[in-house]
Amino acid sequence: MSRKLVIFALLVALLSLAACAGGGGGAGGAPIKVGAIFDLSGATADVGTPYAEGVQGFVKWVNSKGGIKGRQIELLFQDYKYEVPVAEQLYTQFVGEGAIAFMGWGTGDTEALRARIAEDKVPFMSASYSHVLGNPAEAPYNFLVGTSYTDQLIIIWKWILEDWKAKGGSGAPVVAYMHHPSPFGLSPWQQGGEEWAKANGIQATAYEMPRGATDYTAELTRIRDSGAKYVVFQTVSSPAALALKNAASLGMSNVTFICLNWCADELAVKLAGPAAEGLVGAMPFTPPTVDVPGMKDAAEFLKSQGTSLQDKGLHYIQGWATMAVMAEGIKRVLDSGKELNGENLKAALEGMSNYSTGGVTAPITFTPTDHRGSKAMKLFRVKNGQWEQLTDFLSAQ
Amino acid sequence: MESGVFFTTYKADMGLRRKPVHKVRLLVFVAFLIIFPFLASRYWLNLANQIAIATISAIGLNILVGYTGQISLGQGAFMAVGAYSAGIFAARFGLPIYLNVPLACLITAAVGVFFGLPSLRLKGLYLAMATLAAQVIVEWIITHWTSLTGGTEALVMPAPTLFGQRLNTDFRFYWIAVSMALLTALFAANLFRSRVGRAFVAIRDQDIAAEVIGVDVFRYKLLAFAISSFIAGLAGALLANYRTIISWERFTIETSIFYLAVIIIGGLGTINGSFFGAAFMTLLPAFINNLGRALQTTAPAVAGLLPAVQQAIFGLAIILFLVLEPEGLAKLWRNVKDYFYVWPFSY
Repeated sequence: MSRKLVIFALLVALLSLAACAGGGGGAGGAPIKVGAIFDLSGATADVGTPYAEGVQGFVKWVNSKGGIKGRQIELLFQDYKYEVPVAEQLYTQFVGEGAIAFMGWGTGDTEALRARIAEDKVPFMSASYSHVLGNPAEAPYNFLVGTSYTDQLIIIWKWILEDWKAKGGSGAPVVAYMHHPSPFGLSPWQQGGEEWAKANGIQATAYEMPRGATDYTAELTRIRDSGAKYVVFQTVSSPAALALKNAASLGMSNVTFICLNWCADELAVKLAGPAAEGLVGAMPFTPPTVDVPGMKDAAEFLKSQGTSLQDKGLHYIQGWATMAVMAEGIKRVLDSGKELNGENLKAALEGMSNYSTGGVTAPITFTPTDHRGSKAMKLFRVKNGQWEQLTDFLSAQ
Repeated sequence: MESGVFFTTYKADMGLRRKPVHKVRLLVFVAFLIIFPFLASRYWLNLANQIAIATISAIGLNILVGYTGQISLGQGAFMAVGAYSAGIFAARFGLPIYLNVPLACLITAAVGVFFGLPSLRLKGLYLAMATLAAQVIVEWIITHWTSLTGGTEALVMPAPTLFGQRLNTDFRFYWIAVSMALLTALFAANLFRSRVGRAFVAIRDQDIAAEVIGVDVFRYKLLAFAISSFIAGLAGALLANYRTIISWERFTIETSIFYLAVIIIGGLGTINGSFFGAAFMTLLPAFINNLGRALQTTAPAVAGLLPAVQQAIFGLAIILFLVLEPEGLAKLWRNVKDYFYVWPFSY
């Protein structure tokens, strides 16, 4: 009996401790509070961790430079394990503690919080580039720094049409669209990608990549037999790498493989090895293998920390650049002398026109009717295990 | 000093709250629930609402699994049906919360009965597989019937309005969520004092014996599915009205497993266990999260490791509970009560 009582007492102690830790503070004071949720231990932790480090890195760097107009950024952050209910808990907690802006991460949490952030008037940037999030009529407080998935796919369609012509192909190019079995996977296809392909003479078919599959030979065999010369992946790195390896063993060397942004990274190249050679990547954020001026600050900061941008990789610069755009919005509110709150921050962001990220992304423009910051991006190609620039900025328009 | 509980009438023996202390405890609990939202921050209100909705869903699953002994892996799917029904009624037909929630419950009950049909022939793990099919089928329909559900895109519904108040804050929704949780608990507690509830328990304990003593096993199994999914639908519909945005990712197989864990940790076949389990499974991760945040400044090295060990701590806590108290938190609570009942002269 006493043992059970001890357990019960421990439980009570645990919960009351949680109560103490959870007590919220008030808003105001010198530091600017920005909430953030990161995936450090969940399903997407492999790419979520460098992204999180990039966001934190930028904040540390700005603070070490004296903050934004003398005010430090205080990042309220926690791992949410890619679980939507945890994201909601942390969101209410951080907003309760005075966060005026919020950095999200995945499709699930961004979608789930979309209505709540509009009620609370909290500008929100995440790494989910679903097209609908860039439409202020649907999601008034969401801002997309990266090129939307639909725009990425349309840019890829355009490139395929050109490449097909350049290679002397006749008729409509046959393209397979292999996607993650989730809203993330289907979003570019359903939100305009399929229509665009149909209207512009691309014979595209969608193939689902089943959850937890250890082999995509069946899907790839169907794709090979359909005569497809291009395969577009909208998935994350590890399934894409697996499919690339399967394709190599099927001898599909005359097929061009293309990744939208979540499988176009160093991880895919590492996992797929030689099978990644020739892979085309749609990358809204320039990888560290290509030197652009916008990377200087991050590279210097990381050097001072005893590491390098090459080690941290593409997702670090993605997190860094996203936070940099948010910080630029905050700076503009402070410059204008207005009160720093969600509404004014939204207005400041909406006034951002052709804001240069130093070549990390295409120049960022937000307007009151369009929150898709960049509609253009460069394509890259894997050569000798490195991402190399293939095209200049291509626009979806 | 009493030496036991004795009743001299059947009425007293059948009472829901059999002793004055029960009534006092209930009053204290209700008083706490009424005062709580005025003192709590938004964060705690959000947690309270999550617990209230999880409690409703857990009671629903407990009726099916804990009381009737029909294992279900389809709780997530039934909640999804409730949430999407409520969402579609609200967004497409403009039905208010007091209509969209009951309608969603009825639809979910019908869907539950349909997927309960295999329970005529299947038991135990085989039935678990059949309900798993429900989970997969419902998920597939939701993600592919784009014209109705919005497909893989989230379904957005307007914030519910009741008595001219928009229920768009955690504080306002608290009253809906908690009162529905109390009503559900009251309903379930009374259900198992009735013929129907006793028939459920008889089926769980020994279905052949139940049939011999005159319980129409198939009918009552279906009824258990209907009631259970009605309540799961209620939880789903409330969740939809609370979040005003519904995506299928919230109702995957993981949700079904989460609720099985809730009722196992809380205590199978108990009403208060459903609440304890829901509270435990919601507060423990929140506590670990807060611990991680507290360590961010004091011990950043430990905080850096915490995400990795976080899952392990959670798993370990569950295993320890199952080993030390297999009957769950409800039994633990009973032990505490028993201890104080004869305190300080325990034996």
